[in-house]
Amino acid sequence: MTSPSLRWLLPLTFIASTQVQAELQAPDISLTVDAYHKSDNTALGGRMEGWGLSHTELAISQQFGNFATGKITGVVESNEEETDFNFEEVYLQTLSLPAGMTLRGGRFLSDIGYLNGQHPHADSFSERPLMYRAFLGGHYYDDGLGLSVVMPTDLYWRISAEAFDGEELGEFEGDPTVGTWALSTTFGGDLSQSQSWQAGFSYLRNRMLEQGEEESGHDHDHDHDHADEHHGHSHGAEYAGKHMYMADLVWKWAPRGNNRNQQLTLSAEYARVTDLNEYASSDDYHQGWYGSAVYRFAPQWSAGVRYGRVDLMLGHDDHFHDGKLEETTAMVAWNPTHTQTLRLQYTHQDVIEDWNDTFEGADNAVTLQYIISFGAHDAHAF
Amino acid sequence: MMHMRSKLGALLLSACLPLQAEAVNIFACEPEWAALGQVLAPDAKVTSATHAYQDPHYIEARPSLIARLRRADLAICSGAALEAGWLPALQQRAANPDVQSGQAGMLFVAEVVETIGQLEAVPFGAGDVHPEGNPHLHLDPERLRQAGAALSQRLAQVDPERAGEYRADYLRWSLAWQQRLEDWRQRAEPLRGQKIVVQHSTFDYLWRWLGVEVIADLEPKPGVPPTPGHLASLVSKVEAEQPLAIVHSWYQDPQSAQWLAQRTGIPVLALPSTTEPDKGLVAPEQLFDYLLDQLLGLPGAR
Repeated sequence: MTSPSLRWLLPLTFIASTQVQAELQAPDISLTVDAYHKSDNTALGGRMEGWGLSHTELAISQQFGNFATGKITGVVESNEEETDFNFEEVYLQTLSLPAGMTLRGGRFLSDIGYLNGQHPHADSFSERPLMYRAFLGGHYYDDGLGLSVVMPTDLYWRISAEAFDGEELGEFEGDPTVGTWALSTTFGGDLSQSQSWQAGFSYLRNRMLEQGEEESGHDHDHDHDHADEHHGHSHGAEYAGKHMYMADLVWKWAPRGNNRNQQLTLSAEYARVTDLNEYASSDDYHQGWYGSAVYRFAPQWSAGVRYGRVDLMLGHDDHFHDGKLEETTAMVAWNPTHTQTLRLQYTHQDVIEDWNDTFEGADNAVTLQYIISFGAHDAHAF
Repeated sequence: MMHMRSKLGALLLSACLPLQAEAVNIFACEPEWAALGQVLAPDAKVTSATHAYQDPHYIEARPSLIARLRRADLAICSGAALEAGWLPALQQRAANPDVQSGQAGMLFVAEVVETIGQLEAVPFGAGDVHPEGNPHLHLDPERLRQAGAALSQRLAQVDPERAGEYRADYLRWSLAWQQRLEDWRQRAEPLRGQKIVVQHSTFDYLWRWLGVEVIADLEPKPGVPPTPGHLASLVSKVEAEQPLAIVHSWYQDPQSAQWLAQRTGIPVLALPSTTEPDKGLVAPEQLFDYLLDQLLGLPGAR
């Protein structure tokens, strides 16, 4: 019956009978374990000395038709002193808004900066750069609402506006409804078949600080103890100001764009925090930056170095003392499969200027880190 | 006079048409789907996210790709988890409701064309395999035609004003493809029953269609790069079975294949796993012509 001349028609009729329809998929569940051993504590947070679990997360995500997607991420951090459980993400995100818009509500990672929106287990180093640890508590997530728009341009261009409760940024005394809000924009594109780039600018407004000041303006002599209280593990920003400005730049190279075998990634970020308190003049601001180079020289091997620095103003009654800390990090990582990473990292900290033993904990450390994920893990961002 | 009036009418019509129907914008995950899209929708604006020198399993969700998916009316991808490492990130960031999974504007070919190597469950440590089966199905020319039918259907759905044109283009292409299938089958006759060594399951559909037997894979497990120990274990088998060639894809490092070739005397053949316009492999048929030419040019095939 099916003569050769008729056979080419068959696929059409076969396809015509299968309707395109949206179906509710089963939820995706993923588990990522990040186990480590660190030889010594280092200054400004990060991992604690000894054996531990850092950022071990269980994530469940579910797509609701074509309208929205939801995600819940629970994170366990455990070291020789304490075990901590936290929900870092509990959000709903739209999928069907027009004009490139996406609305997110709930608890989620802010779009500010380059590293902030990425999950720490995707990082190239075992700890976030100094500026993230000092100004954002490693990474900033909070309860709030965010709107982002991807413009219909040849060049990638995203604009985000977010408003948060502010509770997760740190321990402040103020409690406004909108504790923080942020604006950020990212551009990016390809320079050639082998090179691509991305650049971003962000602004984070901290309103918690302002209100706290008004309510307890006399209470400033405890400020210089702040860093000591949070020595080691910390969730909040240790050095805050009313305004934070950030800029980031990333450049990646892979031969002919084939990043399977070889890839070079250069990234740098800068942050400035101003209006630290009512005594701060326009010259009194925190700033920090880092630059990192990571080279994957074989499909399963990569090596990288990172230099970072923070210049802090350590508040002491109505004046400030300079505090400057440098951190140089080198690492080599092996990925036996795409779900596993074994990383050896050396961290060297230099105190350039100290006051009141703020950077007492500065040290050198060797970290051995093993990451394994199970289940449907997120596709990694650029 | 009648003639003049109809000419005027046509002029008016053509002046209005571009306003109501802009060329459809197609985002292809892999070059073969871009090539197919260009054949079945000649007026469309088609881009491919990847090229023949990239491993389609490992693509980064680059900003330029997000920007391209943002403006697409239709995306066509192999599916079967081939793009699992990067397409979901693009879909989420591009914020384009038309190309979300499940929409008419998102075509995963493996969802409408049957794959080989499907698994009930993936055992732990099996390597980079997925229960949906082998995603490289465009290298079976029969399945490529089925994919063409599916794509044509979707084009008509997302751009109904040109539905008639898409159908006509598909029928014309499909008829010509039928003729080509006959030709290729005849030409490929000397390859039937031959043996081959591969690096990854990229060309499995082609080998099946040609009747070529795969006797060894340079990868110890699917998706895991060759190891010296595994390569050494293949030497005696390859020497005994005398395959036609050790085949690797253009995007793969030739080192492992060359190592084995030096020890066994079996030639290395680098093949494109997809179309590559810069090398003259523009349309899907040019890819199959080229693959056959290369295989038939091997010393053992004559």
